[in-house]
Amino acid sequence: MKSIKIFLWVLAFGLIVLSQRAWAQVTPEFQIGARGVVSFNTDVANHKATSAVNDFSDSGLLVGFRQKMYNKFRGQLVIGFQFPDADSDLGQLFFHQTFVKLEDRTNIIKLGRSRVRSSLIEFPTLRDDDALPFTDVLNPFSNGQNSEDNQYGNVAEYAHVFKQRYWVRIHGEHFTETPIPPETSETDFSLNAIGFSLQYRVPRTQLWNRPFLQQIGIGFNNFLTDRPGYSGQWDRALKNVVVSTILNLRPDPVYFWDFRAQVIYNFGFDEITAVKEYAELTRARSFAGLASLRYLYRKLERPALQIAVSAGYKTFPDLKTASSQFQLVGNTFYRLGDNFDVALQVQYKQFSGDLKNLYGENQVRFQVGLVYAIDHAWNRQFDDRDSLLNLEHGYIP
Amino acid sequence: MKRREFLQSTSLLSAAALFPASLLAPEARAANTRRFPKPLQPEMDGEVKVFRLFVDIYQQEVVPGFKFHTLAFNNQVPGPEIRVKRGDKVRVIFKNKTELNHTIHWHGMHVPWRMDGVPYVTQMPVMPGQEFVYEFEAEPQGTHFYHCHWGTLLHMQSGMYGSLIVEEPDDPIRKRFPYQREYTLIYSAHDSNFIRNELNSMLERMKERMYLMKNGRFDKRRFAVFNTKEEFVQAVKDGYLPPYVISRRSRAELPQPNWFTVNGKSYPMTPNIYIKTGENIRLRLINAGTEEHYLHLHGHDFWQVCDDGLPVPQPWQRNTLRLSPGKTLDIIIEGKNRGIWTFHDHDTRRVTNNGLYPGGNLLALVYEDLPAEETELNMMARKMGLPNLPIVALDE
Repeated sequence: MKSIKIFLWVLAFGLIVLSQRAWAQVTPEFQIGARGVVSFNTDVANHKATSAVNDFSDSGLLVGFRQKMYNKFRGQLVIGFQFPDADSDLGQLFFHQTFVKLEDRTNIIKLGRSRVRSSLIEFPTLRDDDALPFTDVLNPFSNGQNSEDNQYGNVAEYAHVFKQRYWVRIHGEHFTETPIPPETSETDFSLNAIGFSLQYRVPRTQLWNRPFLQQIGIGFNNFLTDRPGYSGQWDRALKNVVVSTILNLRPDPVYFWDFRAQVIYNFGFDEITAVKEYAELTRARSFAGLASLRYLYRKLERPALQIAVSAGYKTFPDLKTASSQFQLVGNTFYRLGDNFDVALQVQYKQFSGDLKNLYGENQVRFQVGLVYAIDHAWNRQFDDRDSLLNLEHGYIP
Repeated sequence: MKRREFLQSTSLLSAAALFPASLLAPEARAANTRRFPKPLQPEMDGEVKVFRLFVDIYQQEVVPGFKFHTLAFNNQVPGPEIRVKRGDKVRVIFKNKTELNHTIHWHGMHVPWRMDGVPYVTQMPVMPGQEFVYEFEAEPQGTHFYHCHWGTLLHMQSGMYGSLIVEEPDDPIRKRFPYQREYTLIYSAHDSNFIRNELNSMLERMKERMYLMKNGRFDKRRFAVFNTKEEFVQAVKDGYLPPYVISRRSRAELPQPNWFTVNGKSYPMTPNIYIKTGENIRLRLINAGTEEHYLHLHGHDFWQVCDDGLPVPQPWQRNTLRLSPGKTLDIIIEGKNRGIWTFHDHDTRRVTNNGLYPGGNLLALVYEDLPAEETELNMMARKMGLPNLPIVALDE
């Protein structure tokens, strides 16, 4: 019996090899995205200092393959992993991206594990999760142990682009649900969030056309929770609204200034009037705002120095004890070579009310690090949607 | 099937695989005239012939199903043909409609040096929206061409080239080989991926530079332009990194052409060369690309009569010639062997479209007096639904 199984496996393998020989394939475009972020951190909390010699969280690797379909569409597969935070329970490696994308000039379909649409814009911080309570709609199914729970999930998304700059997205996700003991892993992967967004956004390549308004958007995120005492889906949904903008204050190719801001309004659940754990923190009514001012000096048409200051404030109006959190992030990146920066960052966090009980009164984090980030493609065979040729001189599929 | 029949049918099919369709049909012949450079009509300003050229970004369809963005003179690849008589006074008003810099170099012409079109050597580049007037006397005679001399590696293979024919009133070639018809064939080679990446990259950079230039902020190091060699050497000593050290380009690799064109088209859309029995025709061959071509004509020896536009002292007969980058060669074909004959690069890597044979710079010499019955096919072909030669075949 075993030998028959082996024979069948060999036969199947042989048929696959033969079938590949019979039809020559177009070698796909091959993409690699890699980011290494290594920092020395010193934390000061409640008058006590601790330090981490090597924090390499947020470092990761993405590998992508892309090619033309028989019609005007392109297909893409991306697989990627990253090193999660040291205190996460995700293990040494976390596969944060495994998705397939199908797109043409105006339509994009994306399926798989990827970045969830919990934010509309990115902020200039050393790591993506440095200001998470302000940058992202928080995942109400998580226990807060892993910041990745708020950033990555199983995604089904459709986007349509109107007139090159207007984006409409409809998305459904399965956000990670922290298992409740005795369960040790997730067993239900059904849809637990839906949303949509509208954005006006100037393509990156047209930045020097100098529009003042670079981006403006609004997004709606609804988590399909099991809110006790409510049976209607609408009542059980935890509703969030996100509004964002990026303004080019001085779109100068050498001395560039921009301003970006995002606010998140979480409608919350009325019954949550105190926060003792992360689930309540994500389900309480809240208002969060984050704003950044960024200066970028570009020498010889390449970034040379970036200085940014970001400030965020979040308040919880329904809590019996007045509660809020405040965060200030200042950083600078100096370019040592192509794609390679030395970075300095200081973060200050302050908590009051119920949040003070969870996180302490304040925290300060000093970080010195090196960042190497590349994004490259080989065997390129077609152009991108946002290239100047395609945008301004007629699109070629 | 007998062995002889089999050999006959296979040889016919392999030959058929090389021929464009319906070579002798009236509609095919009408379409064929559009596959040669379109003559540019001059305006007269006194005794000066005034030509108007512009450059813009244009989508060129090389073959059905494949287009790429090009830089094209007067929305044509190649640009229109400028045809003058030796000694004519010529003025070319050149308008740059793109967001890139350009010049025009008159390849092989004895123009005043400030008209030679070499940026920062004979003139400033013609910047976006600008106009530049070139003036010269048409010397010497023969087959020449014009092309952009800014970012030459990119701009030429992107389509910025065109023929410039200086007719000799007392043409020694016509005297020795009387002819009525002549054809201009401009060869080029294109790395469509390089063109796309580089054009996008240059367009992005120029948006930045235009912003700075409009504000009067010209940084020599940013633009990589220096007054003297000494100034440049000093800048490097001071820590300046030239573009060839930190490539500002989209990629550092040199182009690997994947499309080979004649008059902007690849097989099967290349032009046909028509001839009649007993007729002489003149072919003006121009290599505006970066690759050498070894052009071979089946079934004939032709006369090579001019080299770089100038008549050679003693025309010589051959069936294969080497057309190097920047070279022009004129040949005379005598109509002595009725049929349909291929004229192609014998470095058959260039008889490909995107790596697949046949394609590229393959074209056909077609005798107009070829009886229809000579294009008939055998029984096997008829069973396949093929009426007669010629056939478009795109796979090996």
